[in-house]
Amino acid sequence: MTAGEGGAIAPSIITPLGDCAVTIQIGDRADPVIARRVRALAADIHAAALAPVRDVALGYAALTVWYDALHTDYAAMVSALEPIVAAAATRLGAPATSAVTGREHVISVRYDGPDLEEVAQRTGLTTSDVVSRHSGRQYTVYFLGFVPGFAYLGELDSALVLPRRTEPRPRVPAGAVAIAGAQTAIYPYAIPGGWHLIGRTAVNLFDPRRDPPATLAPGDRVRFVAVEE
Amino acid sequence: MIEITAAPPFLTVQDLGRPGYHAQGVPSGGAMDPWAFSVANALVGNVGTAAGLEWSLGSGRIQWHDAGAFALAGATVDATLDGAPVAMHRWYRAREGSVLALHRFAAGRFAYLACAGGIDTLPVLGSRATYLSARFGGLEGRLLRSGDRLEVGRSPVPLRGVGFTIPRELEPRYETAECRVVVGPHAALFGAESWSALTTTTYTIDSASDRMGYRLVGPPLQHQGHAALPSAPVCPGAVQVPAGGRPIVLMADAPTVGGYPVIAVVCSADLPLVAQRCPGEALRFRIVSVDDAQRALRRRAGAVHTIGQLVQGAAVRG
Repeated sequence: MTAGEGGAIAPSIITPLGDCAVTIQIGDRADPVIARRVRALAADIHAAALAPVRDVALGYAALTVWYDALHTDYAAMVSALEPIVAAAATRLGAPATSAVTGREHVISVRYDGPDLEEVAQRTGLTTSDVVSRHSGRQYTVYFLGFVPGFAYLGELDSALVLPRRTEPRPRVPAGAVAIAGAQTAIYPYAIPGGWHLIGRTAVNLFDPRRDPPATLAPGDRVRFVAVEE
Repeated sequence: MIEITAAPPFLTVQDLGRPGYHAQGVPSGGAMDPWAFSVANALVGNVGTAAGLEWSLGSGRIQWHDAGAFALAGATVDATLDGAPVAMHRWYRAREGSVLALHRFAAGRFAYLACAGGIDTLPVLGSRATYLSARFGGLEGRLLRSGDRLEVGRSPVPLRGVGFTIPRELEPRYETAECRVVVGPHAALFGAESWSALTTTTYTIDSASDRMGYRLVGPPLQHQGHAALPSAPVCPGAVQVPAGGRPIVLMADAPTVGGYPVIAVVCSADLPLVAQRCPGEALRFRIVSVDDAQRALRRRAGAVHTIGQLVQGAAVRG
């Protein structure tokens, strides 16, 4: 269903998501190349400014187009989207510029999360190794979702990859810096969560009075810097 | 202006939500039962985007500081205005100092109070809907409390004469436990047994149900392959099947993305049937085509429009 880097590209799959949205599945896994294609296709759909489109939401390997079902139907929506999807597939080597020219962010993190020791034990590293591997690279914002301002960042150093916690916490504090799988993220709000908490930051990730309200945007690059206080 | 003189445990300002911010992680939110919400608005001559109050279970009282008009829709509630019984799906005039008391919920889970002119809180990201998880929208992004005062906008239609009651065939009704679904994006991950279970089981609503999602109690649905998929956008009505196989119907304030297979999606026209069911109540699913689902949605919108027209006609005739 998906293409590896330089491999043959399987066609995208278009399916209804209920009666007001269409999902375009580009791949079947979290992967930087697929994520870039998702961002590029989202930019193309925005640029096409199709009248019934209400919103475009992104995931790792799929995007969803919300439309006004009172004024169009599923078949017409798919017909309008198909040429955009086909055109995007033919210029994979040159993704839309808007998808690659993100901003750079440097975020200060105090690495004192409640799971830092456990992450070190399970990965066979020292806590300072965990910190240097987490802060020692640049991440790309794949997409935002879950709750306002929550950015899925990848890819994590392969030595830090762990499955989610078996027992999610009922409440993860706002500002918690967390890892799970090959991803890292910051919790913008105090919400339940199953990721491993390794640090915290004071950065404000979402302010509904700003436009856009989220601090991070798909395609942006993020670097974490360890601070003592 | 109205004042919440005795707040129930769960009272929020809602409208039809903020649909344009999914890519920022913001769910569309809004009224859990947009059908009843829209009917209440139409009854008092409001535009569809006007904000009202969503009242979930529990008793309480609201006082009018200025004369106005209001209507209740959705859950069947025992209510009185200055001691006189108030019927559902009919508009009433409130005098300065009038008190609307909502005593108990007889059936259903969400009642909507529309005030002529709409509740006038500050819109956030294009909507007045309260989004509790991120604490914005409505009044300070929170549940309403006793003592809260809310401004009411100017009524767009001069309502005259006695309260207009909508024809029975246009009233929101929730008796049927059968709700229509369309096949979901991960349909291929489920085998014949799961599809049979989905369409023949009478599920019950679990107590772990809120504005984010309703858990269903019934035989587990088995999916082939991974229980966890790369996170992808989801929508209200999506029937997610986590590893344990117990389905969850995502509701208005659900996260914008999910990593569990979506076997089916409840039709927009029937999501109010789910929303209005209390823990322990029954729910069944019937598969229809997307075309059928969209036709049902358009019929629904047409019915709400008709109510608005009838109210306008009644207002003109006085």
